[in-house]
Amino acid sequence: MSLIDEDAALIASALNGSAFAWEKLVKRHESKVYNLGMRLTGNSSDAMDLMQEVFLGVYRNLHRFRGDAKFSSWIFRIAHNKAVDMNRRKRLMTTQSSGNDQDDKDIFESIANDSKDEPDRKLGEQQQNNQICKMLAILPLEQRLIVELKVFQSQTFDEIADMQEISVNTAKTRFYTALKKLKVVSEENHVLP
Amino acid sequence: MSCPKTQHLLQEYFSDDLAPFAREEIELHLNSCEICGSELEALLLAQSNLQNWQDQRVPHWDRGVDLFKREHRVSGSTTGFWRWWQWVPTAASFAMLSILFLNVSVVSGEQGFSITFGDNSSSQQQFQSQLTEFQELQRDEIQALITRVEDRLDSNSVQLLQAVMDQTQQITADNLDRIYAFFEQNRIRDLEDMRVGYQALVDSDYETIRTLQQLAQFVSYQEPVR
Ligand SMILES: [Zn+2]
Repeated sequence: MSLIDEDAALIASALNGSAFAWEKLVKRHESKVYNLGMRLTGNSSDAMDLMQEVFLGVYRNLHRFRGDAKFSSWIFRIAHNKAVDMNRRKRLMTTQSSGNDQDDKDIFESIANDSKDEPDRKLGEQQQNNQICKMLAILPLEQRLIVELKVFQSQTFDEIADMQEISVNTAKTRFYTALKKLKVVSEENHVLP
Repeated sequence: MSCPKTQHLLQEYFSDDLAPFAREEIELHLNSCEICGSELEALLLAQSNLQNWQDQRVPHWDRGVDLFKREHRVSGSTTGFWRWWQWVPTAASFAMLSILFLNVSVVSGEQGFSITFGDNSSSQQQFQSQLTEFQELQRDEIQALITRVEDRLDSNSVQLLQAVMDQTQQITADNLDRIYAFFEQNRIRDLEDMRVGYQALVDSDYETIRTLQQLAQFVSYQEPVR
């Protein structure tokens, strides 16, 4: 029963200066953004960096949010751009077109280390996520982003095309190409049951 | 061994808005072509492998609250000014809503005011006159308030106001209860938030007054709500 879209109410309050509303707004969306970051970067410190940049972007542009789109879609758009920026700066998950085992190890060691910080998390789940990151790591960022937006965030090809400034057809082709690559690794490694 | 249709066909398979006939055509080919069929199966498997992702808990961080507080201290003086006098019309509108919903009748007599709850004998006419009285009383003050709100070009309040207005276009007792609940919740949460919630209510005051006529009609053919 939301009388008013809860995001809209929180945004209005935050713009009015309520730190409480801002924090609540962040809390509502941080998990999605953090997990997106994990899948895009493969490690939690980059995921944290990305998440912080995303919310800084949200904070700086909140007054521009017009409410004609869903707030979460708007956040994904910011996340998309921040990920592209970040990739330009530091080459996220540098294992593009695979073959570089050393980088692979660095990334997944750091994930393994994270799991020590969270003893309550089941190791199995962690391994499953690691495998997924490993699969995604073979994709160039723009394909990884399409997979992220399509599979995990259920965005439409229209929305994705708009974000990446490509045609809808190109978006579809990229997604198909990405899936084909993922198919190959998942068959090669038999990574998941 | 390959099929010339695979790429185009499977690419379209994942479209968001495939026409039913196109979907049918694809299914038809998939059923008859083993190459495309097994390729699709493999792609779907890869996709479903991804969907096994288990959300990980976000490590502790400050959520930008420090930055937020730092940057909002600057405008503290104006909010201080706003804090006290915005309560006046707000309280008035709450009182008005109470009158409508509790069917309270306020009778101004020689000894002052007397208030009765749930008194059904208070006639529609009496109610209307109270309403008019109230409007007269508040108009100037609210007009001044509106002007100031507009002066501040407080687009964000307008945003919330708009949300409230959209919702209240079809006014029901339920809706108003929710408005109550919404602002009541805000009030309880903490003082800082209360200011914001009431600010929004003040902003919506003007519209409240305008819709009071509608409300009055509504109340007149409903049983007292509680
Ligand atoms: Zn075929």
